[in-house]
Amino acid sequence: MSDASRRELGTVRAGRSRVLPSGEDREEYLGFRAEKEMFAVSLALVREILKPPPITEVPRARRDILGIVSVRGQITTVIDLRRRLGLFASPPTVSSRVLLVQGNDEVLGLLVDEVTQVYRLSPLEIEPATSVLGANVGSHVAGIGRPRIRGLRGEVQSATEEVLILLDLAALLST
Amino acid sequence: MASDPRDEFYSEAQDLIDTLARDLLALETSSRAGAEDPELVNDIFRSVHTLKGLSGLFGLSRLGTLTHELENRLDDMRMGRLAVSAGVLDVLFKAVELLGRMLASARRGEADDDTELPSLLSTLKSAGAAPPQKADDELNAFDLDPDIVRVLTEAEEHRLRTNVRNGTPLYRIRARFPIDRIDKALDELKQRAKPLGEIIAYLPTGDLPADGTLFELDLLYASAAPVEQLRNRLDGQDATIHRILRKNAASHTSVPAAGPQPVNAVVPPPPATPREGRESVPLSLDKPFGDSSTGERAALQEVKNSAPKTPVPPKPEDETSRAALAGRMSHTVRVDIRRLDHLMNVLGELAIVRGSLARLTDRLRQHTAFRDLTAELHRLHRAFDRNLAEMQSGILEVRMVPLGQVFERLARAVRQIARQNDKEIRLVVTGAETEVDKLIVEELSDPLLHIVRNSIDHGIEPHAARAAQGKPMEGTIALNAYQAGNHVIIEIEDDGAGVEHERVVATAVRKGLLTEDQARDISPRDAINFLFLPGFSTRESVTDLSGRGVGLDVVKTNIARLGGVVDVQSERGIGTKFTITLPITLAILRALLLGVAGRTYALPLSSVAEATVLDTRAVRTVEGREVTSLRGETLPLCRLDRLFSHERVAPKPSNRSFVVVVALGGRRVGIVVDELFGQQDIVIKALGPSLASVRGFAGATDLGDQRVGLVLDAAALLDEVLSSGDRRGAEAFSVGR
Repeated sequence: MSDASRRELGTVRAGRSRVLPSGEDREEYLGFRAEKEMFAVSLALVREILKPPPITEVPRARRDILGIVSVRGQITTVIDLRRRLGLFASPPTVSSRVLLVQGNDEVLGLLVDEVTQVYRLSPLEIEPATSVLGANVGSHVAGIGRPRIRGLRGEVQSATEEVLILLDLAALLST
Repeated sequence: MASDPRDEFYSEAQDLIDTLARDLLALETSSRAGAEDPELVNDIFRSVHTLKGLSGLFGLSRLGTLTHELENRLDDMRMGRLAVSAGVLDVLFKAVELLGRMLASARRGEADDDTELPSLLSTLKSAGAAPPQKADDELNAFDLDPDIVRVLTEAEEHRLRTNVRNGTPLYRIRARFPIDRIDKALDELKQRAKPLGEIIAYLPTGDLPADGTLFELDLLYASAAPVEQLRNRLDGQDATIHRILRKNAASHTSVPAAGPQPVNAVVPPPPATPREGRESVPLSLDKPFGDSSTGERAALQEVKNSAPKTPVPPKPEDETSRAALAGRMSHTVRVDIRRLDHLMNVLGELAIVRGSLARLTDRLRQHTAFRDLTAELHRLHRAFDRNLAEMQSGILEVRMVPLGQVFERLARAVRQIARQNDKEIRLVVTGAETEVDKLIVEELSDPLLHIVRNSIDHGIEPHAARAAQGKPMEGTIALNAYQAGNHVIIEIEDDGAGVEHERVVATAVRKGLLTEDQARDISPRDAINFLFLPGFSTRESVTDLSGRGVGLDVVKTNIARLGGVVDVQSERGIGTKFTITLPITLAILRALLLGVAGRTYALPLSSVAEATVLDTRAVRTVEGREVTSLRGETLPLCRLDRLFSHERVAPKPSNRSFVVVVALGGRRVGIVVDELFGQQDIVIKALGPSLASVRGFAGATDLGDQRVGLVLDAAALLDEVLSSGDRRGAEAFSVGR
């Protein structure tokens, strides 16, 4: 299972490197979808991408905790990103994935609807959340990503219509 | 999995500190009895020295400073410059206590800002300022070769003088050992000689017989036993005994003591050359020789050839590092418990493979064409099964450590707390050898300490009160551990005042935990259990030890986290007894798998008394709670689907329900479930911190085929369902009604 998902992550990476040749101080983000919105988290914090294994529900747990799974013998808590963000919850589909991410003091699973691609964003492509969404934005939003289309040598050609909500995992997963 | 060398250091340093404390306690006991053991002082000195070396190695300079000063005082003690007194022991205990704290804060990576260090250092320094004893030369009165006296180390000389001053007769035992088994032979001689006296020094005569197969040693020996007894004791040893007499006594020359000489006594008088090998021989004593006799011979050759011209007093450093080396050469390995956990995980996966293998074999069996193959596969599977089981018990055994480790720490604490409280406490320990999982032992010391504190602070009465009741001045705390099936029971019993349950009840009423009506009916036993509720305290005054109303609830929580229960019984004027029931291991346990509303849960079998079909006609409702009767006793029921608010997506598999009777520490609850799936060995794993606040589960386990099952926490469930002070249990009952 894990081999398959590593391969999957591999292809995502390969796809990225064709689109974006090496660049300046750009950071890698993993893009994914929850309901209709696009999100991204720093790739460095993502350990693995899994097809959802059977999830065991934990009675009395917080509502956004879907349950637990075993990842190579490690019991891992899985959080439903939709519920965490207050979006409309729905059961997993074929394209759903669990991202294993480094939480504040444990590795957690994060259920998302679909993993899209890896983005390499330069600071210029990231807008501060408050300037776009106002002061009331949740602390879990680290910024807004506006990836641009680049030429072969990485030069910026034009802005896409894509809008990525960059998540601050530490804030998202705290309490 | 790579282990930090610091972890190794911390655990080794902790071991050393534990050993130190244990030895100090032993020293205190022996010095009270008026017979302090010089070996013990030496052991303590060595431990401190090794600790000092380790601290230096890991750059813990404050720890280093303290061990250095401690080492100086211990050196004074073993040289006889400092007497072992209660005051000195106090300082030493304080220092060891501080060492423990400093190590703990270093381990946590905290800045260690203990302000006690400077004052303790100066106390230690001033303790050593005692003037050195005037060396009157009482030794001259003896017919001792001055060369011998000259090569004695300071410590040995001190022991010699002490014995002379006490008037203990001195002997020279000349012994010969075959070179190829010198270590064993010498050990045997030591074993025989020690009970009757003290071996002050080992001095090689340097007078080896020509054929080089024997090795000769003089033992300077002090003993008050009659010489006949000594001879009998050493009978069969290739040894002769000479009494070392006073010079002005009747016989001036070194005549053998009266009595028949052993047959092999024809040895020349001791040559005055024992300085040879002073440096090397103790090494051969401390460290057993290898198997190769050529190696030993080479070592002895070295002894002969490299003898220094002038005797160099051996440095204590050499002795101690040798001892440390010898200690490290023991056949034990330190293993990080996480590595064992990892092995346990692998084992769990193997058990799943075993299951698949069994299924495959069963499927093959249906094909007659493969009969031979099936039979062979079946045999292999059985062998695999057997080996797996053996491996499992092997790994479990490695995780087991004796409870004595915790009890020792407790003994130290008892001493300290008793002193602070001005009470005399005798701690009686039985069953220290009882083994428990390492992880449990580690988590046990806080709860036990708390209970013991409670006993000393609240239980054992002050001197006057004890005297008035005709109790002995000295209070007794008994620590008793034993194994009962898959559980370990630890009892902490004191002979103190006992709990006044009327006051507990009164407090409970005042806090609104009981109504006046309930208070009238409550049994003393049930009343005492209120002590385990958070924030409950009957003591009006707050002491610096306990009695702040925090504590017993923490004890209960900590024990529950280990899958155990704690119970208390008390009798006024006679004493209080805490009983802790714990599982032997957390790593693997036999569980009953049960199904409810399509979910599978595991319940540790150790807490299951029995399981039966629920007789719905026998279910009654008492004060909104369902109960049934089981063999004439009322059994409260708990429907798991309601407790967990499970929605039923499919109808129940059958009309029947089952009752699983959970029993722990004398309390019982019947858990109602839909299905029983049978028993299975499970490896229990902790839930992540994000689920820490969820009550009722001890962990989770792999059920095979990728599924995970939650393991019910029997103790927590019992509490939840039975506790009357806690409303959650009642709420759980009302859910779904």
